[in-house]
Amino acid sequence: MQDQLSALLAKAAAELPGVNARPAFEAAKARYVGPNGELTALMKQMGGIPKEQKPAAGKLINEAKTQLTALLDAALARIADSELAAQLGPAVDPTLPSPDVGPGTRHPLTLVREEMCRILRKVGFTVADGPEVETEYYCFDALNTPSDHPARDEKDTFYFPAAARFGNVSKKNPEEKYLLRTHTSSVQIRTMLKGAPPIRIVSPGRVYRRDTTDATHSANFHQLECLYVDKGVTVRDLKALLDYIFASLLGKDTKTRFRPHYFGYTEPSFEVDLTATHLPKVKKPWIEIGGCGMVDPTVFQDVGYDSEVWSGYAFGMGLERLAMLLYGIDDIRYFYQNDLRFLKQFA
Amino acid sequence: MKISLNWLRDYVALDASNDEISRAITFLGFEVEGVANTGAPKLDNVVVGEILTRAKHPNADKLSVCTVDVGPAGGVKTIVCGAHNCGAGNRVLVALPGAVLPGNFQIKLSKIRGQESQGMMCSPDEIGMGSDHSGLLILADKPALGAAMNDVLPPGDTVFDIEITPNRPDCQSHLGIARELAAWFKLPLIYPQEKFRGDVAGPAARPDLLASVRVEAPEDCPLYSATIISGIQVGPSPAWLQRRLTAVGLRPINNVVDVGNYVMLETGQPMHAFDAKKLGGNAIVVRRAAEGEKITTLDGKERALTSRMLVIADAQKPVVVAGIMGGVNSGVSDDTTDLVLECAIFRKQSVRATSRQLALSSDSSYRYERGVDPHGAIEAAWRAVDLILETAGGKVVGPSFKVGGDVPWQREIVVTHDYITEKLGFDIPAAEMRAAFESLELTVTREEPTTHPARGPAWTVSIPSWRDDLDRPIDLVEEVLRLHGTEKIPAAVVSSPGLLADDDPISIFNRRVTDHLVGHDFHECVNYTLRPAKEVAAWIEPTSATPLALANPFTEDQSHLRPTLITGLLESLRLNQSRGVAVSRLFETGRMFIEREGQVFECAGVAFVVAESVAERSWLKREPVDFSFAKHHITALASVAGIDFARQPVGPATAPGWQAGHSAAVNDHAYNWAARFGLLNLGFVKSLGIEGKIYGGCFAILPEKLSAESARHRFSEFGLFPAALRDLALVVDAATPAADVQKSLLKLARAAVGNAFAVESVTVFDLYRGTGLPDGKKSLAFNLVFRAAERTLTDDEVNGVFQKVQDEVVMASGWQIRK
Repeated sequence: MQDQLSALLAKAAAELPGVNARPAFEAAKARYVGPNGELTALMKQMGGIPKEQKPAAGKLINEAKTQLTALLDAALARIADSELAAQLGPAVDPTLPSPDVGPGTRHPLTLVREEMCRILRKVGFTVADGPEVETEYYCFDALNTPSDHPARDEKDTFYFPAAARFGNVSKKNPEEKYLLRTHTSSVQIRTMLKGAPPIRIVSPGRVYRRDTTDATHSANFHQLECLYVDKGVTVRDLKALLDYIFASLLGKDTKTRFRPHYFGYTEPSFEVDLTATHLPKVKKPWIEIGGCGMVDPTVFQDVGYDSEVWSGYAFGMGLERLAMLLYGIDDIRYFYQNDLRFLKQFA
Repeated sequence: MKISLNWLRDYVALDASNDEISRAITFLGFEVEGVANTGAPKLDNVVVGEILTRAKHPNADKLSVCTVDVGPAGGVKTIVCGAHNCGAGNRVLVALPGAVLPGNFQIKLSKIRGQESQGMMCSPDEIGMGSDHSGLLILADKPALGAAMNDVLPPGDTVFDIEITPNRPDCQSHLGIARELAAWFKLPLIYPQEKFRGDVAGPAARPDLLASVRVEAPEDCPLYSATIISGIQVGPSPAWLQRRLTAVGLRPINNVVDVGNYVMLETGQPMHAFDAKKLGGNAIVVRRAAEGEKITTLDGKERALTSRMLVIADAQKPVVVAGIMGGVNSGVSDDTTDLVLECAIFRKQSVRATSRQLALSSDSSYRYERGVDPHGAIEAAWRAVDLILETAGGKVVGPSFKVGGDVPWQREIVVTHDYITEKLGFDIPAAEMRAAFESLELTVTREEPTTHPARGPAWTVSIPSWRDDLDRPIDLVEEVLRLHGTEKIPAAVVSSPGLLADDDPISIFNRRVTDHLVGHDFHECVNYTLRPAKEVAAWIEPTSATPLALANPFTEDQSHLRPTLITGLLESLRLNQSRGVAVSRLFETGRMFIEREGQVFECAGVAFVVAESVAERSWLKREPVDFSFAKHHITALASVAGIDFARQPVGPATAPGWQAGHSAAVNDHAYNWAARFGLLNLGFVKSLGIEGKIYGGCFAILPEKLSAESARHRFSEFGLFPAALRDLALVVDAATPAADVQKSLLKLARAAVGNAFAVESVTVFDLYRGTGLPDGKKSLAFNLVFRAAERTLTDDEVNGVFQKVQDEVVMASGWQIRK
């Protein structure tokens, strides 16, 4: 019996390492441990063994079975490994470039706009939007711009023919003309007319001026404006907002200053300068960045807010100008050419 | 406006540096666009000398050693000079030891390359006169030896180029700016004192020169004054007057015209002088022009007038376009001996309208348009009379004509210390506020202490006639803050109480579609909204293009609103291709404009284009993109707007820009949105100069249909028992849309199943055309999924249903089952 078992194990130890495929393995396994297998046959001989020899023989058989199972398991594991290995091709060269294009990029104007909106959202501003085709009322009249003001001239503002009809841009007066908005301030008017104070909005958007396109001018460009209407809003609050915005955007050492100025829809009005370190291509100590002021009582009156109760501030700036400053871009036309070598630089 | 510092000093004793004055002007609210120094600065120890000899420097090729005679200032000096033009005989400026030149350059006795130099001969830039350093300043008119430089050269001046905001017409003058600076520096303002004050001593009136002045349109000309000055001699103005005008950029013409300009620049009040002898009928009539009446203005152009324009006329003809420009027929010329000096107030709207209509403006119209001091005209006339008598001689004859009265002016604003503090958000002492008013001649006529001890006083402030911009208490807040200094606004923390609002749906939509497309390797572009007519007409039907046209385009290639974002993206593709930059995926978000039945709708839009294959060569080939790629992405973009494409009928994209048979449209604005996608018209793309096939997609929706909140989805149960699957291939006409077949099949399957269990889905999984099928046919294979919620379906019941579906689909549609 022992000899038989030893011979069996020796045979298996010689054969199994050479079995490389699953069918051959299954066949071999059947030959050893299947119902008609050699080990099974030896186990069947147990019946004929004298009772006193049974424990020793049983022990021998069990040992042999354990060894044989180990041999089979090892063979199976090896086969499974080689099956998986067969799924792989040759090793990759990880230094080869991906043939896929990408990654995609956001336009620098989007990046700057989103960054400004994120900064402003932190202090409670939400994004407001409004139509780019506007009417004289929302773009000028409601913003305290008299009807013979030069900004309204056909020389400077794009108008549509008197017969033009815009299905989803409402007119205040039937006889007023449609135009392309010259600033995003019209969104302030629409927001104030639609809702009630307090209001705290940021309105980024596209605006239009009838202007020659050159390094610093473009027929359309983008603005971003903030409007805050509440009780007891002060000049000091406005300054605090500007300080906060530009310190967030450009670092804590950034400073802003106000210079008195004139806008029809704010009183008092200021131009905003900033000074910051590490701005590319900036040579002047102070850079003009936008305009702001306290909402003029006339504007409140026009939208039906009581200026004795409500006060507010507004701030506006050009997004292209800001992007040019941040990224050191010296020609506004780059923004509208969409050369991939430009677009890929900022994302 | 250009403002001369010397001129300002006539009215205010400014001793601050140019930088301090610049800063003051800036923080008073006027942008300083430039500061220019003219003439010579005051310099000591710089004198006239004559070069006697010139010899080559023994130790330096490029230097000369000259002897220079500075006469009584020190005799003959030896000076080393590097200039090329130090030839003997020239008179030049010599900086002697002790002189300090601009830039703190101190002149000392020195040795230059071993040669003693007893001073320096100067180039213009070395003495602060411009930037010319190409050679010595040669004094061609040979002034006396030893004369001090400042006795020889015109005195220096500083000219500030200042942007005057439209609310401050009073600052379109030296007096106006001087008033502001006097307030800033807390200095007194000295007004010019007129000698002539309308009082006439001398000959009686001269009706032979001017007999009558009549104003027929008093609403546009509330005040008209005319003064006759007789016996003048027209000639060049004195040097001081010429210098002032030149400094601020005006060309001196003659003493009479120059005085008019001078007084305008001093006071802001325009005026006009006529040659009295050229006034037909010895009359002045201020009237509206006759329609079509003509005048040749001083710029030499003949202008046709309309009946709404105001003119100054004589008895026969218009002689001035009122407030804007005189005519050639009546101006002062060299032989004028008697003149009529006009000084008037014209309504600003009238001047503005006429100026715009004639496309004609002048320093005069510029000031009238913005508004002149209604009480300043008469004094300005007196001032001009003084200066004309001083520079051109002559005598005032007769009393001045004055038609119309003083424009009534009285304005008081009551403002409290508390109100100003409340608007500013920080404290400025009451005394400082009051001083600010007074310094600007905003006279406080009454100060009432409020009864409450903690509160500040209330002031009644009288507003002078030149400050029409001050009308309400808030306007006085600005005056206080200006003089306090906007740089002193104290810092604070942003207060930010939450207002329970959310971003506008458009901005959320744009952000989300941008996330999607950037995440799929698209590059975001920004293109102009305005497109060329030709392109718009090629993209949509020409009739749809017309309502998109601007009334006043600036250039031909930017004349129409964009009806799609695709064409801009194609232009970006083309630009990159033409520059040799490999590009495939571009997108843009923004407004686009859709015409429907004559009305235009402004839509929020998103569009993408993708080249079928990337131009760049690669070691590993990728499958080219196709129609399905475009469909996949447009479906995703629509889903951002809450639109489920699976529920929408798909039709052909009819616009010419899309390739028929290879593109599609969903919805076409029937429900306020539209999507178009697929292959762009090959010919259109080629005509733009773009290589290869371009796929694209464009989704547009009315902004008001974008909602911030999407409807909340409800959970629906799904069965846990296994599904039964059956495949069915149908042979149908090649043109039959798969969706139609799918729908019929789904309907039939549902009918066949009834309530017994559920048809979970019917989806197409294979499309076959070619061998084995008749011409004009295709085979579509569908996978039908059946499931019951509470048990495992048996083969028998599923087979029964499936057989029924097969029988009925053949019966109902005539489609053949492909075995």
